[in-house]
Amino acid sequence: METKDLDQTELVNKIIDVIVAEGMVEREKVTMDATIESLDLKSIDIVMILTAIEDKFDVYIPMDGPFHDAKDVKGLIDAIANYIINEKKS
Amino acid sequence: MASIKRVVVTGVGAVSSAGVGAGRLWDAAREGRSCVTPLTFPHPYRGRITIGAQVRGFDPTLYIDKAVMPFCDPVTQYILVAADEAMAQAGFDRSTRLGPRSATIIGSGIGGMTTIEAGIHNALMGTGRPDPLTVPRLIPSACPSNVSMRYGIQGPAFSVASACSSATQAIGLGLQMIRAGLVDIALVGGTEDHITNNAMYAWEGLRVMTPDFCRPFSKGRNGMVIGAGAGLVILESEEHARARGATILAVLAGYGTTSDAKDPVRPDVTGAAAAMSAAIADAGLESDDIDYINAHGTATIVNDSTEAAAIGVVFGDRAPHVPVSSTKPIHGHGLGAAGALELVVTLGALRDQIAPPTINWREADEKCPVDCIPNEARPMTIKNAMSNSFAFGGINAVLIVQAPEAA
Repeated sequence: METKDLDQTELVNKIIDVIVAEGMVEREKVTMDATIESLDLKSIDIVMILTAIEDKFDVYIPMDGPFHDAKDVKGLIDAIANYIINEKKS
Repeated sequence: MASIKRVVVTGVGAVSSAGVGAGRLWDAAREGRSCVTPLTFPHPYRGRITIGAQVRGFDPTLYIDKAVMPFCDPVTQYILVAADEAMAQAGFDRSTRLGPRSATIIGSGIGGMTTIEAGIHNALMGTGRPDPLTVPRLIPSACPSNVSMRYGIQGPAFSVASACSSATQAIGLGLQMIRAGLVDIALVGGTEDHITNNAMYAWEGLRVMTPDFCRPFSKGRNGMVIGAGAGLVILESEEHARARGATILAVLAGYGTTSDAKDPVRPDVTGAAAAMSAAIADAGLESDDIDYINAHGTATIVNDSTEAAAIGVVFGDRAPHVPVSSTKPIHGHGLGAAGALELVVTLGALRDQIAPPTINWREADEKCPVDCIPNEARPMTIKNAMSNSFAFGGINAVLIVQAPEAA
């Protein structure tokens, strides 16, 4: 469980690790401008990714959060990273 | 077609978050009165989704004998009470023995979840051992078995497990058995209660549950709300019902079921549309004959847009104008009981000629181009009504009921 202060770059890399592992996609494909569709991430893959991120960072990710509107990897990662940083501050 | 027996409904029963009785369920649906409340759990609950349409204030000892009770998980209790109500309405008393020409088929996604969890808790937490009757109580077939014992049903008795299509498939199978001449009368329906610590926590993990309001077909919807209960209908061949002078409440005119054969959790437009079309064809109708649809309408983002698209495929140009409502924000998603609870509601709509509303609806979603009867019930002519059930695993099932005078 990650409880120390989180650096944005480090955080993004950790999130990519989770997307690769839980979404079962090749790491090279997870570029910032890749669309969610191009990674063939289905809704259940997003469920697995968000659940793993909750466990890894000890945060709760609400289902009506901004993650569900993300169209590309950058959008998804930014939404998750900002959310985690805000949660850790509060 | 003359050789195929017509199948009629002569009794209806329900136990739900609206209370004991089909009338209470229909009243809540027609009035748009939600039965969703904060949930009560057997143990302190760690999850974040804490609302649902739970069966509350239900005292099984009012209905079930001491000798039978140890064999009854709540799901069996509910279905027995629903069976008693339906049988009484159909003109049978508790001494009735229906014999070998009768069947009972009861759908349940899981069966005795309350019993399963209590047994596991005792075993793993070291707080005791499972109750010695744990096994006969938790098996899904305890539901039809206990119904068979209560009314001397000596023909086919079994449970159907197809998640959220369980009850609809159970009712559809009863229809097919009577048409085929295997039995004259069938007690069919569904029962479920997953509102236990582990089951709710597991549902929450799927991220399909709303933390606040279930809003089918509305923009801004964010998930389903869980429900519990049981619904049961008495099906008979028309000649059997007429011969004994029973009052015919409705005709069960059609049933269609299909399998997407695609994905464990994602719904599919083609499979859902095929089930609706199959039910319409089975009833000998055209899509234009369907006056009202009680939707599966879970209020998950994906179900409602998929169901709306499937309605588009089946109803074509008329799709945006066919009255469709989801009553799940009222009685919750009854899972394996859903199709039975919603058939009870649909039969109420047919009888009173009022389409129940889709409550909590806020704003049109362009991905759900249907007339979802927002927030207010609508008096209207209903001759033929359709009830949709779509399940995890891609199992779709649809029933069509018809007003007796329209048949």
